[in-house]
Amino acid sequence: MKTPTLVLAVILAMAVGVAVAMVQVNKVVVLDNPSPFFNPFKFNITFVCTEDLPDDLEWKIIYVGSAETEVHDQVLNSALVGPVPAGRHMFVFQADPPDTSKIPPQDAIGVTVVLLTCSYHGQEFIRVGYYVNNEYSDPELRENPPSVPQFDKLQRNILASQPRVTRFHIDWDNSEDQENKPPQDTQQPQEVTTTKI
Amino acid sequence: MKLLKPSWVTHDGKPIFSIDIHPDGSRFATGGQGEDSGKVAVWNMAPVRSEVDEKNSNIPKLLCQMDNHLACVNCVRWSSDGRYLASGGDDKLIMIWQTGRYFAGPSTVFGTGGKTVNIEQWRCVNTLRAHTGDILDLAWSPQDAWLATCSIDNTIIVWNATKFPEIISTLKGHTGLVKGVTWDPVGKYLATQSDDKSLRVWRTVDWQQEAMVTKPFDECGGTTHVLRLAWSPDGQYIVSAHAMNNSGPTAQIIERQGFKTSMDFVGHRKAVTVVRFNPNIFQKVVNKASGKSQQFSCCAIGSRDRSLSIWLTALKRPLVVVHDMFKNSVMDISWGKSGFELLVCSWDGTAAYVEFTPDELGTPLTQDEMNSLHQRIYGKSMAISTQHSVNNTIIENPAMLKLQQRHNEHREQMDAKKQVNGTPTKIRNPMLTSPTEKPNPKAQQIETRTPDGRRRITPLCIAPQVDFGDIPRPFMSSSLPMSSTGVAQPGLETAGTPRAAEPSQGSPSSQHATVKPLAPSVLTSAPTAIPANIQPMKALDSRFTEKSKATSGTKTSQSKPDRITPITLSTAKPREPDRPILQDSSAPAPTIIAKRKLDSLSQPGTKRMRKDKPVLMAPAAPTQVTPTIPQDVITRSAPHPIMLPSPPAEKNISLQVGGGEESMVLELENNIQTAGVKLAGLKCRRGGTVEWETVLSTRGTLLAGSRKVLCVSCEDRSLCVLSPSGRRLLPGLVLSHPTAILHCNGYHVMAVTTVGNLSVWNVQIAKVVIKNESLLPIMSGDVVIKTSSVTEQGVPVFSLSNGKVFTFSVSLGTWSTLSDVHSSLQQCSDHQTIMSSLNPSSQVKGPLASLQGQGQRSGRQAGRLFRANHNLQQAVTLGHLENQVSAALMLRSSAEHKFWLLTLVRYLVQEGLEAQLREICDDLLGPVTAQGRLPKGSLWEPEVLGVCKRLVLSEVLQEVGSNLRLQRLYTEYQDQLDMVQTPAK
Repeated sequence: MKTPTLVLAVILAMAVGVAVAMVQVNKVVVLDNPSPFFNPFKFNITFVCTEDLPDDLEWKIIYVGSAETEVHDQVLNSALVGPVPAGRHMFVFQADPPDTSKIPPQDAIGVTVVLLTCSYHGQEFIRVGYYVNNEYSDPELRENPPSVPQFDKLQRNILASQPRVTRFHIDWDNSEDQENKPPQDTQQPQEVTTTKI
Repeated sequence: MKLLKPSWVTHDGKPIFSIDIHPDGSRFATGGQGEDSGKVAVWNMAPVRSEVDEKNSNIPKLLCQMDNHLACVNCVRWSSDGRYLASGGDDKLIMIWQTGRYFAGPSTVFGTGGKTVNIEQWRCVNTLRAHTGDILDLAWSPQDAWLATCSIDNTIIVWNATKFPEIISTLKGHTGLVKGVTWDPVGKYLATQSDDKSLRVWRTVDWQQEAMVTKPFDECGGTTHVLRLAWSPDGQYIVSAHAMNNSGPTAQIIERQGFKTSMDFVGHRKAVTVVRFNPNIFQKVVNKASGKSQQFSCCAIGSRDRSLSIWLTALKRPLVVVHDMFKNSVMDISWGKSGFELLVCSWDGTAAYVEFTPDELGTPLTQDEMNSLHQRIYGKSMAISTQHSVNNTIIENPAMLKLQQRHNEHREQMDAKKQVNGTPTKIRNPMLTSPTEKPNPKAQQIETRTPDGRRRITPLCIAPQVDFGDIPRPFMSSSLPMSSTGVAQPGLETAGTPRAAEPSQGSPSSQHATVKPLAPSVLTSAPTAIPANIQPMKALDSRFTEKSKATSGTKTSQSKPDRITPITLSTAKPREPDRPILQDSSAPAPTIIAKRKLDSLSQPGTKRMRKDKPVLMAPAAPTQVTPTIPQDVITRSAPHPIMLPSPPAEKNISLQVGGGEESMVLELENNIQTAGVKLAGLKCRRGGTVEWETVLSTRGTLLAGSRKVLCVSCEDRSLCVLSPSGRRLLPGLVLSHPTAILHCNGYHVMAVTTVGNLSVWNVQIAKVVIKNESLLPIMSGDVVIKTSSVTEQGVPVFSLSNGKVFTFSVSLGTWSTLSDVHSSLQQCSDHQTIMSSLNPSSQVKGPLASLQGQGQRSGRQAGRLFRANHNLQQAVTLGHLENQVSAALMLRSSAEHKFWLLTLVRYLVQEGLEAQLREICDDLLGPVTAQGRLPKGSLWEPEVLGVCKRLVLSEVLQEVGSNLRLQRLYTEYQDQLDMVQTPAK
């Protein structure tokens, strides 16, 4: 049997803001895939929003230049999406190919990752990752790859069938004005769900 | 009796805390722990009942899975009509689920690789937040009018199930975690059981405690996760969860009559966690000797001792006890509506299904027999429900009937309009009609640029509103879109026809692939697409989950590509960041700004030319013109007395009065030297030609004008008032101090001196309206005047830097508040809900609206605060609305006054606050006399702001008539109104 004081402490500790994900991504279609390396990335994104969002969503396409380090990550495009009333929405998100000068030559060929992220009020709540395979379409080159990568001869293949989706719980109520926010609210989104295939 | 454990009903081995069978018997819900979140799952019942269906891979088992809950789900319950599912969990939230109306076919949960297929679409329609602790149990009231939830915050909340998230009552009294809640089937009581060793019964009439039972629980410890108690279907007994009798765990029977505790169910070896009554009352010959048929109810009891017992109230011993069915405590039990099947779930993460025969339980009474039984025991008062009592109200007079009909027609029209609007979007949407077709949203996608140069995409809305469906049909019934494919065919044969054994007869269709739970084919084929270069993959894996630096806001050069062609025109003009906010609505104003810039350059000595500060002005008065100085921010050095800067006499001042063809430009040229005499010349141009010209003896500092009157303030502290054709209307008015602010609107001239004294004159009748009133009372501290204006009716308005807006009331002789941005009343008012029911275009424009801004923040916090306390919410809303009414009155803004008065009335009607309505009606009606003449000495004014009060009353009564409960009030005033309006003969 718990003493009343103990119970009170438990309740206080839990009295922090909670919010449910208002935006759920239903579907991402990778368009123009596979395609030459210098073609733009194109994603057709369908998402559902359960309540009218007062502010815009921020979407980003990030190209991972090298597996070893984040230094070579490139934001290919970032865009605000809005207004978002409650309902189902779709948009095409497009980005130019990565800046090849920022890709380490040894990482140019082979498997890397492209990420689609979405944040609300600066808090990332979903991350969709795809493996990307860059290969020479010419079998000759594939056998004997040149020491300096020839990006114009590369074929980019996004493994569209295998999205890796990570969802983060964030504070959806968090608005610009903090007047009525309980002070103990934590804004650090914590990672919650990782779905693997 | 048949008993089986469907192994596929699982939360991946995690505990299943709750289980509930849908009233139509075709599906059931489970709740519990999911992957790092709470999980609610809806399952197909057919494969549980029939082994054939279970083996048929075309028949889906999991229908829908929802992981919206942030933490473990402790309870799931279907509403009795089956429309809603309620779930409550450790995240302190209750979610209400409903099926989507437009079901676009089976869909996968994105990112799960097709593993989870949502066959049905259950969507969260409401999230109820008010509990401050984990929610352990919940129950729908018999007619689904209320939903009761109980929590470890020691309270029970009763929600209005017809109007979520409205709270009917919060029941306080328990001093420990409340772990179970059940409704009296008659609707008179609610019973709860808590860790505070008590079971309490609450009345639904006034939500007060009726009884408290403690004795059987004295020896109990808080050893169970839940204490799901139950009320028998005949209403005669409550059976508690964990109770103790002689140190042995029991389920206590509490009689309705006096809530006496004389009997209990004994036999479980550990605490009883859950009791669920069979919804039916059965009838059977129990005593073979007498041969007499007997009526009884049946209940299932689950315990921490992992066993399940079934009791008939006609038998002294349990009908059956099932031991060792689970490896851990029983958590929840649910009976099907038929009363012959039962689902049990356990902490060990499994569920069990038990099926009985009529031989074992007896014949259930029909609904009619149940009703007559209830009536026999409880009289006609059965099923007390707020909803019913209103619907049953008799309309007492024909006028009311007509009004009600009109209201209904109006509603239908609105609905029809909505449907018309809804259809085209549906057609346009390629996703709904054929999911495989490649859509081309890019063509319709609108891309714009935000002021800071970022891309902004307006997404294509493919389903404008989240539509929610009606009561779901039994799963696999012909109405489902799926039935057109071969999948549903076998499902229809769940009743056991022999054809069910031939699953192949269903013609395979293209949709099959997605429905099949056989995802492995996808899974195994996919990895082969990944090249053998596995090495970097592991390193890359982390990138899917860890936030990289690039996401935290750094942009590369490519983040602003210029190939985007904006479709909307709004981006064509680059926006200046330093533009005044209100400028759009005050179009005539900015004409002078450019000129002023040149002036300020020529006079480097003047410091007050702050181009970066917005020039704010009251946009609602189109004839009003900005004064010639930027009186935007008038700073004060010392707190007292007020020191407002007076503008110097600059060389040239010009001002545009009016707009369009009527507009004229006033130009004041100071320092005209003629033979040693310094003069100031005033010119008026209309359409490029000089209309008139006059001279002033001293240099002018400020110009103001309206279509009716022009005004110049001079260096010698005098004011010169001119007609639009240049005639001097008044002799030079000499003020005590130089003028700091000068405004004209209509026939009114307002001047504020440098020491903060306000005067307003009516030029038409040459009278003072406000005489030398000090601004001191409203300018305390470091407050500065942001904007000021005078309305056409001569009401001065001051908007201050602290967000407050004041006016001076002549009749009351004091300053009064018109608006306060930071007022909690304004922020928390819930009037938005009634505003939205209006046509949005009917929002009136006027001085008050422009003061408070269109995108005002009022009501924004309404949802957040006062979730728990409806009374407080109501008081706040009323306060705000009443303030709005009086502010509009103060501003003499007739249209707005009427708008807010009607809004207030609408709110009062909605809340059924008769006393306040009566007061408003009384004032509008005035004294009623037989002749329709006012009695002598009556102080009642027949008009408010030029509008006949009785005309307003007739509109008010229209609103009153929308609430049937107020029909007496309506009739009363309508009759009196008719009487005073009929012309005296």
